Amino acid sequence: MPEGIWKWAQLKGLTVVGTGDFTHPAWFRELTEKLEPTGNGLFQLKRAHRPDEGVPASCKAEVFFLLSVEISCIYRKNGRTRKVHCLIFVPDLASAARLNLALSRIGNIVSDGRPILGLDARELLKITLDASPDALFIPAHAWTPHFSVFGAASGFDSMEECFEDLTTSIYAIETGLSSDPSMNWRLSALDRISLISNSDAHSPAKMAREANLFGTDIAYQAIVGAIKTRNDFLGTVEFFPEEGKYHYDGHRQCNVSCSPRETMGHHYCCPACGKRMTIGVAHRVELLSDRDQGFRPGAALPFRSAIPLAEILAEVGGVGAASKVVQEAYMRLLTVLGNELAILLEMPLADIERAASPLAAEAIGRMRRGEVHIRPGYDGEYGRIKIFEDGERAEIGGQGRLL
Amino acid sequence: MVDVTDGLNASQRRAVVATEGHLLVAAGPGTGKTMTIVRRCALLLGQGFGPEEILAVTFTNRAAREMRERMRAFLGPEAARLFVGTLHLLGLKIMRAAGETVGLCTRDEQVRLLRSVTASSRAALQLAERISRVKNLVEVPDPETTRLLETYRGLLRAQGLYDFDDLIAVPTRMLEAGRVPAAYAGRFKHIIVDEYQDISPVQQKLLGQLVSKGARICAVGDSDQAIYAFRGADVRNFLCFATDFPGAATVALTENYRSTGMIVRAACSVVRNNRQRLEKELYAVREEGTPITVCSVPDERAEAETVVREIEARMGPSSHFMLDRAKAAVDFSDRSSSFADFAVLYRTNGQARVFKEAFMERGIPFQAVGGKGPSRRKALIEELRGQLDTMPDRQDMDAFWRGLREKGSFPDEEWGLLHNLALAYQDLSPRDALGEVINELTLFTTADDFDARAEAVALMTLHAAKGLEFKCVFVAGVEEGLIPFTSGPEGTDMEEERRLFFVGMTRARDELFLLHARRRFLFGRQASGLPSPFLAEIPRQLVRQVSVADAIKKKGGTQMGLFS
Repeated sequence: MPEGIWKWAQLKGLTVVGTGDFTHPAWFRELTEKLEPTGNGLFQLKRAHRPDEGVPASCKAEVFFLLSVEISCIYRKNGRTRKVHCLIFVPDLASAARLNLALSRIGNIVSDGRPILGLDARELLKITLDASPDALFIPAHAWTPHFSVFGAASGFDSMEECFEDLTTSIYAIETGLSSDPSMNWRLSALDRISLISNSDAHSPAKMAREANLFGTDIAYQAIVGAIKTRNDFLGTVEFFPEEGKYHYDGHRQCNVSCSPRETMGHHYCCPACGKRMTIGVAHRVELLSDRDQGFRPGAALPFRSAIPLAEILAEVGGVGAASKVVQEAYMRLLTVLGNELAILLEMPLADIERAASPLAAEAIGRMRRGEVHIRPGYDGEYGRIKIFEDGERAEIGGQGRLL
Repeated sequence: MVDVTDGLNASQRRAVVATEGHLLVAAGPGTGKTMTIVRRCALLLGQGFGPEEILAVTFTNRAAREMRERMRAFLGPEAARLFVGTLHLLGLKIMRAAGETVGLCTRDEQVRLLRSVTASSRAALQLAERISRVKNLVEVPDPETTRLLETYRGLLRAQGLYDFDDLIAVPTRMLEAGRVPAAYAGRFKHIIVDEYQDISPVQQKLLGQLVSKGARICAVGDSDQAIYAFRGADVRNFLCFATDFPGAATVALTENYRSTGMIVRAACSVVRNNRQRLEKELYAVREEGTPITVCSVPDERAEAETVVREIEARMGPSSHFMLDRAKAAVDFSDRSSSFADFAVLYRTNGQARVFKEAFMERGIPFQAVGGKGPSRRKALIEELRGQLDTMPDRQDMDAFWRGLREKGSFPDEEWGLLHNLALAYQDLSPRDALGEVINELTLFTTADDFDARAEAVALMTLHAAKGLEFKCVFVAGVEEGLIPFTSGPEGTDMEEERRLFFVGMTRARDELFLLHARRRFLFGRQASGLPSPFLAEIPRQLVRQVSVADAIKKKGGTQMGLFS
């Protein structure tokens, strides 16, 4: 429901959020009923639909919606199966409607879940620009193995192989959870491409795991312009890439996780069962890069790595992130301090210590300094983050108290 | 100049070079008959025949398009001057050359005309079919039909119209009476007819007329693939070719390049049981391949789910959701498949629905060929047309659409489409917007298939699959009652049904699945649930027998996959 996105956007500290799924007839109808255009390519939730409760005063803010959809293209090109997810932004309902009409001639966009088209991603780009020249087309989570433009299992080795003559209409890629900008800087082919970071609108509580920071007006053209030119595009908030589900290589059925080097040693086969391993993002970057680790292009934007607050609280309390204790602590902290991104990135640690505990403040401090231990994710398994060594918790600030 | 027999096998070469007399080319499935026809044309041109002296007849417009492309690829621009097309197109051209202005009466218009002389739409449809059989010389009309036929002719004439069958019957009569337009008198020296086994007696007569003016005829076809008896085609035309055209030679193309050895042998062992056929033994040039899968499933829902699962296993995961499920371990994709590599074939269009639902549910792109379009969309268009004239200049369009919706006369699934149309044209004046919406809706209704750029699993009847090939084919409903089909109005022609099954099997290049359900409702009745008797004709060593157990009623439970 748009109401859920509206609520969580405020808790998280997001000003502009994607609607997701505007190709889906029922969702699109709900959007047109509950949202109203703000006249600058964005939308707001109509007052009548804004719930009274659920957002503490400390987090209350204006939220704007941007029409977006992610489409899965599954097709054969140059003799191989390709599966490429693509993200599309459009500036108005008429553009969305025109794209929906064009796509309903291509295939079934009615079924629930992400629409799957047996369509070449280049053709989808063409159809998108025909429907709306102001649309922005972005290869989604560009490195994940199964469904992305550079993915190991069914992607391409270059943007040009995928988009051919239309490659120049690609202005940005999503780095995805398992890669961060510094990994992407190793490809000179991406120097002209903006690296953006979004996260899922399907489960509102998971929004803002990654985000983009803009210094522009709050308007469609201004935001799209900033993505295209990198003017007033201030940078991104990232997952630690190791925490992503596909950072390393591996074979989940056998609990086998490998670094790119180890995988090569095993000739790409699972050392336990011999089946082919799922090749992760770090490996693909290694294969396709033409620069050493640590290279930073001149035009690169800054980024900051963060861990979702619920996970930090879980670490602090030594409990599960989905537990009731954590949920309550999360809401109490937001009520006192403000939205999640502010807490994670900006708030003085002393304030956090006062509102929560010395342990929580120390955890966020370590996260900001990148002093965390992560067992990398692989083959669909999230990475495991550890901020504290065993015994450290007691040393810093008492046992198991969250707040 | 390239040697036109380059790269041909011995029998293909014989079929290409035998240009002195009439020739029957008995070409099994996947034996390269289109290439053989193209090369024969090239040879004729090389022998000095003009392109306009060669007539290449195809069975469908689609086949004509493909043939023209193949000709252009091999012959270059000269190919455009050959006549490549259906007999109906030829008939139309002859009639036009004779000075007729031909307005064509579509099937819908035909039924509408006949409605005025019959008691019901159903009777009008039946009469249209009877008239078609009479015009194709398949049926001798009774006095009542003769009378109605005269009335119908009068109605057509009054509007200056001809129906589809007239495009053959009228030119045939013209040629018989010696009234040949100058442009066609003795024009064709060589006539090549593809799919000869499927021509009707009147088409055969037209060809006979053309040949009697001094042409050589080369008939290409396969007695084992004659599947249009219900349209008046007669496999005997094929079998009697040597009698109809004395002195004709026969060449058989028997090397199959399309399918694996297992598939070819299985298909042949079925069709061999027919008596009305030209004896020939097809053999595979390709490797043996894997056995055919004969799969017994509980019901048609499970049948569709089985097909979905097999496709998913070959395409690899199609979503992160699927990856996360344990079953996603079943991935033996060759990482080179496309959804367009798969086809689901069935005997009756009624079987399509459950497959469409299963594909929708799993988000697999599909393309259903033929069958009835959304008839309720037509009703929607009619309703909107009715409103167009009275649409006020200042209509609040939101209220207009809302009003239509509240009336509830249209299905919910149409509203998604209408909603998008309404938004796409919201900037136009109310009347213009409505006009555009009607145009677009009409386009959606008449377009016979999806955008050609889309790759999708093909859903079609066995009849519609003729001439096509796929890497992996699922034949659904291989059961008593469906294959062979025993509920038709004309009784069951076992040999024709066996040929149809043969056509279905031979569409597969690498993999073939034959599925039969243990429970199925057919025309509102519980069917026998027995496998097709044709399955028993396939040698056991070519078959891998699989059975999907009845689902244990468990919420959210999934059945075992064939390979899990």
